[in-house]
Amino acid sequence: MRLSKLMVPCLVMGLVSMRAAEDRTAALSEAEFEKLHRELQPPSGELWRTIPWKTTLLDARNQAIQDKKPIFMLVRSGHPLGCV
Amino acid sequence: VLDRASSLADSEIVKLLSTRFVPLAIDQHVHRQLKDAEGEQFAAVLKQAGRGLDGMSQGQYLFTPKGKLLSFSNTPDAAHVKRLIDTALKKFDLTADVPESSPGQKPAPPPFEPPPGTTVVDVTTKVLGGYEKATIKPTQAAQEALGRDHLWLRKDEVEALARGLLPESVKTRIVRYHLIDNTRGEPPMWSPDDVKKLEMTLKDGRLTGSVELTTKSGKRGYRAKLFGNVKVEDGKLTRFDVVAKGEFWGEGTFTRSAPPGEFPLAIAFTLTAGTSAADRALPGGARANLKGYLR
Repeated sequence: MRLSKLMVPCLVMGLVSMRAAEDRTAALSEAEFEKLHRELQPPSGELWRTIPWKTTLLDARNQAIQDKKPIFMLVRSGHPLGCV
Repeated sequence: VLDRASSLADSEIVKLLSTRFVPLAIDQHVHRQLKDAEGEQFAAVLKQAGRGLDGMSQGQYLFTPKGKLLSFSNTPDAAHVKRLIDTALKKFDLTADVPESSPGQKPAPPPFEPPPGTTVVDVTTKVLGGYEKATIKPTQAAQEALGRDHLWLRKDEVEALARGLLPESVKTRIVRYHLIDNTRGEPPMWSPDDVKKLEMTLKDGRLTGSVELTTKSGKRGYRAKLFGNVKVEDGKLTRFDVVAKGEFWGEGTFTRSAPPGEFPLAIAFTLTAGTSAADRALPGGARANLKGYLR
């Protein structure tokens, strides 16, 4: 089968493109892993993590009665403490 | 994400919530499905704010121990939250709003806590580039945000890791429920058919892998490599430092405004410190799907 003049450059470009995609997802080196793992750690001392959160309304209500305090309920789509 | 970057990063608000209130954090999708006393009381508070269980119920609800709503809004803005707090504290009547004794309703073990024996791993996600520069603060905060989640590992899976084995269930859970872009909101998970390639091995404590994920339409995908170190001592997981990095493309219904085209996305796994209620939050992929998630 003969390849047309147009098909050859297309095939070459396709191969180059595939190679480029492969390069972009090259294996992580130990150094890059260490750097990225460090960069993706949350900052230390985040204020919101110091709040004594309750995660059930009944538990919060019992605590509120005991402490004689109102309740602050934060409702989000996805858990406000961490799944988004 | 926005709460953590704005109102919950405000020291005055954090102090007020910690000292003058009982702070409570709820995922609406989980709580609206509860049919017990917990669910009933949740619905009763929402109703006073004109919200129901079938619609959007996000927001800040400030109410008395008797369940009477004091103030409500839905805002990430710190100044607005301070006004809500002021209003609630002014309205709160210590003599009228607090029952003399607890109703005695003890919460049942919540269906969203880690099952006994579960090991929790923090998962953080970051878009490493590709955004057009944001001009407004909320957008900038979203672009710079760390997505957060937790990977739950079953007791038997940790035992397998201790023997140097990487269970298929762990590989699948990591890929389908955690190699996601959750930096701008609730992301869609990957279906089994989306997993085009999954290679992951554990050898001498070194985890390496390569994955390709693409939806049927091809509009969303992730092509990534994994690398990390896993250590188990005396049957206990003492290290689970893993990173996935690669090219992501596309977005979900609730994760709009992704960078155009392919963009670099990295995801890090780290054994949790276990010091905060946040460390026990239900994984996003386990919402209404705990059995499927832990399978």
